[in-house]
Amino acid sequence: MTTNPHRTRIEAAFAEAGVTGWLHARDIDSGAQVDAGADHSVVTASVHKLPLLVALHREAEAGRLDLTERTHCPPTGRTPGPTGLAAMLDEAVLSLRDAAYLMVSVSDNTAADLLLERVGLDSVNAATRELGLTRTRALHTFAEFLAALRADVGPEGPSALADPQVVARLRALDPRRSNHSTPRDMTRLLASVWRDEAANPAHCAAMRRLLGLQVWPHRMASGFPFDDVHVAGKTGSAPTLRNEVGVVEYPDGGRYAVAVFTRAGSPAAALPAADAVIGTAARLAVEALRSR
Amino acid sequence: MAQPPLSQRIQRLEREWGVRLFERTSRRVSITKGGTLLLEEARQLLAQTEALTATARRLSDGRSGLLRAALPPDIAGETIAVLLDGLRERTPDVELELHELSTAEQLLRLASHELDVAVLHHPCDVAGLELAPVLRHELGVVLPRDAPTADLETVPLAALSGHDLILFPRALAPAVHDEILTTCARHGYTPPAVRNGHGPSFTRGLLLSSRAVAFAPLGAHPGRDPDLTWRPLTGAPLAWRHSAAWPRGRGDAAVRAFAETVTEALGRTAAGPDLPAGPLHLRPSSEYWI
Repeated sequence: MTTNPHRTRIEAAFAEAGVTGWLHARDIDSGAQVDAGADHSVVTASVHKLPLLVALHREAEAGRLDLTERTHCPPTGRTPGPTGLAAMLDEAVLSLRDAAYLMVSVSDNTAADLLLERVGLDSVNAATRELGLTRTRALHTFAEFLAALRADVGPEGPSALADPQVVARLRALDPRRSNHSTPRDMTRLLASVWRDEAANPAHCAAMRRLLGLQVWPHRMASGFPFDDVHVAGKTGSAPTLRNEVGVVEYPDGGRYAVAVFTRAGSPAAALPAADAVIGTAARLAVEALRSR
Repeated sequence: MAQPPLSQRIQRLEREWGVRLFERTSRRVSITKGGTLLLEEARQLLAQTEALTATARRLSDGRSGLLRAALPPDIAGETIAVLLDGLRERTPDVELELHELSTAEQLLRLASHELDVAVLHHPCDVAGLELAPVLRHELGVVLPRDAPTADLETVPLAALSGHDLILFPRALAPAVHDEILTTCARHGYTPPAVRNGHGPSFTRGLLLSSRAVAFAPLGAHPGRDPDLTWRPLTGAPLAWRHSAAWPRGRGDAAVRAFAETVTEALGRTAAGPDLPAGPLHLRPSSEYWI
């Protein structure tokens, strides 16, 4: 079901913000959809922490791991990142579910790889496959993703991203060589978590709780500045890429899964308009679904 | 086309569409707002038709000798002349079909393979492209000759505060447009208004009538204009950055010859290779760390 007038407005919003974007939104209960490039193959980056979260809970449900099991995080050899365990200095011991909290709430890369080590890439791909996500695949760990990015950027570090030749050669931005999905696959996954289909109801509730604890206000949530509307989600970023997939819940019971993936023309790290358009596009899509 | 048949055709279109395209008085004819909107779409339609015809021609002839290339509107005339001479020498068998297109338009046509090679204005979305080296032409400011800042040897961006800025329409290259405004703000210049201007005479009129300023590379400034002057910006914070680009994996001999020739031609007037900007602080919400 394609709704073309909505697609035109959504694409105009993307263009105004200086990005190219792909979106899919679905009404979790009626199944109605809004498609603006829903089947475009996209790099997930940290959005792939959502499939990892789902795989973790499915493994727990199958009895192959215990979420209260302690995991040991040594001070060295951590997957780099600016938040959570990745930014902490000392040895830590925490439960798998608390590592999952850090992974989802602040996109902690170290916590994500601790969990991935325990769960395994194959289980992540098995989970998405079993839930009917035919175009979603994890090819590598977050450490490997960042190592490839670092290698391609070169020794100069992030300032080399100002060079368009450097941006053009980043393997991390190529969906064929990176963890990838489509907007439609991601809303399918979110809907299965909200419909208690991704795991049993207790596990799905635990996942919804974590997605609701994500701290970032600048992307999807920025499109819904309404105190009675709840936004839960998971972001993902790489140079020029800004993504978020999430669920928007209205007090009248309406619930909508939205996936937005964008690529900016500018390699600048700070592009507030590019972050905010994820919220604008999501709101346009949700409005379209609610006006039916 | 002779005048009476042209008028008749326009009137027929106006009747068919139910839209007035021109306002006519006994003395002058001017285009309506509706006419302007339709003109934009008609131009796009014509451009697409040309691309379609070119592709069809290439297919029907079985020729590989046709090279579909594009340059942005802000490339200096001398650069184009050097480019064309160079290409004639290097690839005499290649038939060049050269278009003048904005970066936004070039990206669309590279993606749809309606263009073989283009000269992009950076930054822009380079996904799926291969790039030749990026060359940098530093921008100075064009001012009314009697502006107080016109006496300075180099002008700091902050000294322009209070002046409106004349800048190309954003849709032509959105990321370049935004980057210029961000750099101005970073250096203490937030223009009260940004006015769209493109053609040199329109820009000149705005410059003179409204105490606005514009940016231009050395060489594009109106040297002989008695009323305007060009000054470098202190610290060269702004530049046009261009490079040849083609779809990844489609750089055949003709494409490479074009890219090399255009890089050479741009290099004659460039300030040198592109330099990366200063330090870049990733923020925690960036999620990645390199």
